[in-house]
Amino acid sequence: MILRRRRPHAFEHDGDRTAIRLGDDERSMLANLAGQFRAVVADDADPDLRRLYPTAYPADPERDADYSELVHDDLVRTRVAAADTVVATASAVSLDADQLAAWMQVLNGLRLLLGTRLDVSEEDEFDPEADDAPTRALLSWLGFLLEEAVVAASADLGDA
Amino acid sequence: MSPTPSPLEVDKTGLGHDEVVEADRPWIVLVWNDPINLMSYVSHVFQKLFGYSKAKADRLMLDVHEKGRAVVSNGARENAEMDVFRLHEHGLWATMQRDD
Repeated sequence: MILRRRRPHAFEHDGDRTAIRLGDDERSMLANLAGQFRAVVADDADPDLRRLYPTAYPADPERDADYSELVHDDLVRTRVAAADTVVATASAVSLDADQLAAWMQVLNGLRLLLGTRLDVSEEDEFDPEADDAPTRALLSWLGFLLEEAVVAASADLGDA
Repeated sequence: MSPTPSPLEVDKTGLGHDEVVEADRPWIVLVWNDPINLMSYVSHVFQKLFGYSKAKADRLMLDVHEKGRAVVSNGARENAEMDVFRLHEHGLWATMQRDD
């Protein structure tokens, strides 16, 4: 018989911090993606960002314009700051709760951006021969990391 | 929401996030299903933002996933708008409207 090793968790909650269990390749990949995410969000011109800024009042364009004017810059700022945190902590041993939240915001924001670019649906199946297979694999990897981060962050909420 | 990664329905029972004090119609905050957000992440955001139990957050998340949307909070317009903003900040597809 073979004792199969399960893939180690990407994050491990320990006390009030969360240890990062990622290899150097994964860390540099993530730092690179976070840097690209920061640039696209700060530039604020890519239509594929639309899922990050949903309509608040779908039946009331006037109120929605007011809402958007009120919050849009804040949303940009918080995402840029989160991306900066990920870049700055990509090589860290562990994260505090705020840093982990920033990681989750960027992981999810990247998924929203890439998923919109890919026009994904819930029924999609992975086709390794497809032209967009590398991006879909990336989306899947980001999803794995986010799932792992949710598990670690849930310990902070006291329900893990 | 995608299965591993997923969103809610309209369940007006047990949603007492804010006591509705106003006599007129309150505002409701809806979260809508989308094919990108992870189910576990959506439930986590409901627990974090609204202080819901894991059981309640999971139920709302499954409502989003299975029925296309769910009411996640309600109250005065200012409070509902703040909830929508925080949901948007976390990447969820949230809208608000008068309860009718």
